Amino acid sequence: MTHFLVMMLFAMIVALIFGVVARDTSRERVLYGLKIFGEFMGIGLALAWLLYFLPL
Amino acid sequence: MAVKESRSVTDAQARTPTNAWLMGAAAWAIPGAGHFLQGRWVRGLIVAAAICGMFIIGLIFGGHLFGLGGGSGEGASNLLQLPPTIANLGTGLLYLLCWASNTGFSDAAEYARRATFEYGNTFLLVAGLLNYLAMLDAFDIAAGRKP
Repeated sequence: MTHFLVMMLFAMIVALIFGVVARDTSRERVLYGLKIFGEFMGIGLALAWLLYFLPL
Repeated sequence: MAVKESRSVTDAQARTPTNAWLMGAAAWAIPGAGHFLQGRWVRGLIVAAAICGMFIIGLIFGGHLFGLGGGSGEGASNLLQLPPTIANLGTGLLYLLCWASNTGFSDAAEYARRATFEYGNTFLLVAGLLNYLAMLDAFDIAAGRKP
């Protein structure tokens, strides 16, 4: 399993729980879950590219 | 009349927290149980599947469960293990079952060498933290603070 797939799996599960517990209506939950998932993936990819250029 | 109504409201408010504490305890012990007991089947199923799945994936990845009793560390070293132990404890009976069967507590270097070791740790820690969140949700629903 690649690092990317593990990150996606992690983001999916966390977004699922956040979506379930954080909002009141089904529509709000789905939208919030998708937003959290997108934020995890977006920030994860941005950090990955940033670290790629750093000579660590 | 007003006194009677006021008393019944006060009684209801006094009864709710006991129930809420029980729901919170059930939700901590078995992920999803707090929602199942309140008839929130879909929510309970999602919580149970996500948290148990995350915990099992963490163990498959070779993640390490933290405990205060084990290890050779002393003093500050044991103190540093307190936060991750609290996070791991969030999975309730899953953690206690692993502790009883000594699963996932090994300090052997072969586990730390695995490429997925850190991922496993993260999955195990976050599974516990997410269950705390679900526990608070079940508590709030039982207390009437959430629909």
